[in-house]
Amino acid sequence: MLITKDLTKKYQDFTAVDHLNLKVNDGAIFGFLGHNGAGKTTTLSMLTTLILPTTGTATIDGYDIVKDNLQVRNLLGYLPENVMLYGDLTARENLQFFGKLANVKDIDRNIEEVLSLLNFTKWTDKKVKTFSKGMRQRIGIAQAILHKPKILFLDEPTSGLDPQGTKEIRDILLQINKDWGTTIFMNTHLLSEVTKICTDIGIISHGKLLVSESIANLTANFKEEKSLEEIYFKIEGGGINA
Amino acid sequence: MHNSKIIAAKEFRTAYKDKVFIMIVLLFLLMSIASVYIGSTTKNAELKAYQDIVSVIQSEGGALPAAPEIFPLAILKNIITYITMIGAVLAIFLGFDSFSSERENGTLKLLLSKPVYRDQLITGKLLGAGVIIGGILIVTLLFNLTLFIVTTGLLPGVNEILRLVIFFFLAFVYMMSFYIVTLYVSIRTQDRTSGFLIMMVLWVFISFVIPQLADTQKNFAYALNSIASTVTQIPSDTALSKTIEYFSPAVQFSNVSGDLLQTVSATATTSVASVLGKNLPALLDLFFPGILFLILSYTRVQREDAI
Repeated sequence: MLITKDLTKKYQDFTAVDHLNLKVNDGAIFGFLGHNGAGKTTTLSMLTTLILPTTGTATIDGYDIVKDNLQVRNLLGYLPENVMLYGDLTARENLQFFGKLANVKDIDRNIEEVLSLLNFTKWTDKKVKTFSKGMRQRIGIAQAILHKPKILFLDEPTSGLDPQGTKEIRDILLQINKDWGTTIFMNTHLLSEVTKICTDIGIISHGKLLVSESIANLTANFKEEKSLEEIYFKIEGGGINA
Repeated sequence: MHNSKIIAAKEFRTAYKDKVFIMIVLLFLLMSIASVYIGSTTKNAELKAYQDIVSVIQSEGGALPAAPEIFPLAILKNIITYITMIGAVLAIFLGFDSFSSERENGTLKLLLSKPVYRDQLITGKLLGAGVIIGGILIVTLLFNLTLFIVTTGLLPGVNEILRLVIFFFLAFVYMMSFYIVTLYVSIRTQDRTSGFLIMMVLWVFISFVIPQLADTQKNFAYALNSIASTVTQIPSDTALSKTIEYFSPAVQFSNVSGDLLQTVSATATTSVASVLGKNLPALLDLFFPGILFLILSYTRVQREDAI
């Protein structure tokens, strides 16, 4: 379970994330929505231990992201936005490298398993620089799930992909969540993705969390709005606090 | 250390998949081999000229001139120039995008989201570069040693081998210093192009501009001495020119290496210990930039904005 308490990140006078209180249950697919510059990536960077919070705390499975950062990193998988990986290395070499760093025991077996899950075995020994964006994204997911993490953080995983690529990534995430019970925390600004895949949603604007609910509860609370898009604009525009 | 070794192995693998890097390495090896060949040919020509003079004098019944002193390592003197120039470029090429490309490609975030400390990342990169540069220098040493034996027909003694090993160790330190400074610049710059340009400008300054300034100062002293004629002469190697040269590790490397490889007749008979003792300030100057920028790199990479 992921819990944040008053998680805050300030850059001098600018507050990127302001007293964020979140709870993401095990096995959930959490869509973290917000406009550009809302604070999504900063939140993700803190949760993945890349940057330190200014104040507040966050725990993943009881481990503090600051004090127990190595344990936290063992629990998580992460795919940043627009990751290119090492172009001169093959998909297998990239995965072997990241797998070793993640202390994966039986790397070669895990690589085969993950690549067949992603339907990618054909391109295992091809250099990553020859891949399309969608293929690179799949290899990016492969490195993130190689050690079967408890929680997977994704930053705009379908950004820049064509409809076919978007669907493939969506199907993969649903499968990982179903087969392994992996919790997925996904930054996105695509409402359509959230409706198709997420069980829970958080909306952030100007660093402040406006709402954090299950999609079922949210639609029940906003009966007058016909779609999630209408709900989103009502919450963002109205500044409703959940 | 485990993670650093994994990162070092990756650095090694990616470097040797880079065609431009391989071309620079091959150029470096070829030029060092050519330098031994040219050096030995020149030396042999000098010896032949001496033999010819001896034959002529003997036929005329005159007194024989003193035999020239032979310092076989001197045939390697062109290698000093190649290491000073191409060795530095090779180290810059190895390091200019070592950090910025990880940032540009998003792999830096991936690396640091694994159970890897930031200092392990720097250690891994240094280790990788150390193995690559060390490997290239060892191959060069073995090539040159073989060529040296073949062209001169001499087997190097303990003294020659010791001088060669120290020379190649100093070459390693010199090239690693360039790598470390480049790594630091790569940490500080947002894109690989800026890092490369900064380092090339620095290389031009260290290898050409500063030595030129020092030479200008020496020439100025020479001119003054000529004008002053019998009046008290100032040494051509002035304190100012020496101070200027301390800003160029390239000059320091050349000076120490010249003494080690017995390229200067006046100092060729000096023992290895004396050479090192005499050049202690130059040696410290050679080590200083690497150590300074190593500390700066480890410090800088801990900052949040390094990602």
